[in-house]
Amino acid sequence: MTFISFEFLVGLPLAVALYQLCPVRMRVLFLVLLSYAFYCSWSMKAAVALAATTILTFVAGKLIGHSGSKHRAGITSLVAVVILSGYLIFFKIVAVTPIPRLGRLIMPLGVSYYTFKLLSYVIDVYWGTIEPRPSFLSFAASIVFFPQIVAGPIQRPADFIRQLPPIQTRLSQGTPRLVWGIAKKIFIADKLAPAVIYVFGHTKGLHGSELLAGFYLFPLQLYVDFSALTDIAIGMGLLFGIEGPENFNRPFTASSISEFWRRWHMSLTRWLTDYVFIPLRMATRTGGTAGLAFSITVNMMAIALWHGLTWGCVMFGLVNAGCLVVDALTARGRTRFFKAHPRLDGPGSWLGWLLTFHLVFIGLVFFRAQTLSDAAWLLSHSLRGLSPVRSGLSHLMAAAGAHSLTQGLVGYVALELAERYRPDNWWRRVESALPLWVQWSVRVAMTVVVAIGLFALTVRSGGQQMPFLYQVF
Amino acid sequence: MSDVSRTEMMETLTGIFREVLDNPSLVLRDDLTAAEVNNWDSLNHIDLIVAVERRFKVRFTTREVSSLKNVGELAGLTLKKLAAHP
Repeated sequence: MTFISFEFLVGLPLAVALYQLCPVRMRVLFLVLLSYAFYCSWSMKAAVALAATTILTFVAGKLIGHSGSKHRAGITSLVAVVILSGYLIFFKIVAVTPIPRLGRLIMPLGVSYYTFKLLSYVIDVYWGTIEPRPSFLSFAASIVFFPQIVAGPIQRPADFIRQLPPIQTRLSQGTPRLVWGIAKKIFIADKLAPAVIYVFGHTKGLHGSELLAGFYLFPLQLYVDFSALTDIAIGMGLLFGIEGPENFNRPFTASSISEFWRRWHMSLTRWLTDYVFIPLRMATRTGGTAGLAFSITVNMMAIALWHGLTWGCVMFGLVNAGCLVVDALTARGRTRFFKAHPRLDGPGSWLGWLLTFHLVFIGLVFFRAQTLSDAAWLLSHSLRGLSPVRSGLSHLMAAAGAHSLTQGLVGYVALELAERYRPDNWWRRVESALPLWVQWSVRVAMTVVVAIGLFALTVRSGGQQMPFLYQVF
Repeated sequence: MSDVSRTEMMETLTGIFREVLDNPSLVLRDDLTAAEVNNWDSLNHIDLIVAVERRFKVRFTTREVSSLKNVGELAGLTLKKLAAHP
């Protein structure tokens, strides 16, 4: 069952209604049962694996927290970290290298996300930043919570558990966020998708102008698709009274590569900063520039390989790591330069934005291309054969659907403007001045209109939307 | 060094923070966090830790650094270390 399917869109309001009726003290149990029911609809075997790793981590947390000996706690946490990391790495390997004796093994839904939640719990208990949780049910809810299990955001168990039991649901905040996410997915990401699929599926037979279009379109599609999934997850979480962490902050406005990574997939990058970068940087803090470059590179490669053990991900990691190292080593010099030449600060920011934008897009070509050879071809041929722009783009329009592509691009521009000027904030100010009954009438009317529209779209397409790009990790 | 008071500690930390973060007007408070200060990212965070270690001749562990939530906790931890190893 996917988040944009007829069954889900019918089942979700029903689940929310039952949750509202459920006594507060039973709500955690309700969340666990509902989440496991959702997960089992995908795979029973994977649900058993999820339950097993959850129990193992909970027990490990107890042993670490109550060991009474720092040495024993260290050994237990090390064993737990090795088992959990091994579990994740095993599925990452199996995903790229089928193992004949094991038969056809598919990666459990959301394994990369929930394993990171489990790992953070073990490490936090060991570091003493949190106490082992007394309630298994609360801990299990924090791991399996169905809005976040598919593709995050990666919410640390402690941050989730402090919100339990969820006394107040937040329907008026959650519903618009959920609808916003579904609309982004259907009206923008899925409209850009055919052109991206066309370019990256026929890379070596296309004109330079088509390759260049694919180069620019994929990052836009990826951002809208993934941020839509985050909106849906956060919106659904709020319907059940849980506030999840944000994942994006207008990443394509970044004027340096380090700023980009502080704005992109923030729950993952914060996780890796806390558990990989800072420990490594502490260990190498007397190592000067080499120590800094080493820590940045290992951290970036961990981000890249978290997505998959492929050569494309390796290159994606290396491109970004190289840029991040240069960024870190020149940061102080650049700051001093722009302080001494304040008139160049504005043009410098623009140049930084343009450079960052393109460097990020180059990395993403490796992330998306089917082979390294395709990625190299796209990058080296994008600016060649640009002269028949009209015929090249007309091929692309014909293959991907001119209407779809235009709608996707207009939608993307509208999205950027909406994120820049936040009409929702303006609307909230206007709304708060209205009488309460008008506020609720408008909310209900808007929700009904949008819900009918979405149902109509889902039914028309038979629930066959493009899968979310980040659902596979 | 073990006689450093809380006020002196905050004054010294202010100097270190201003220099590392290149922000001469920065005013430290106990509850100040990285999210509130421009430039205080994960790279500069470790530079700050190293600068504090050098200034006070103390050594922090990863576990300690990871559990710090704000400037006040850094000041408290540093004072504790100074008291333990005068």
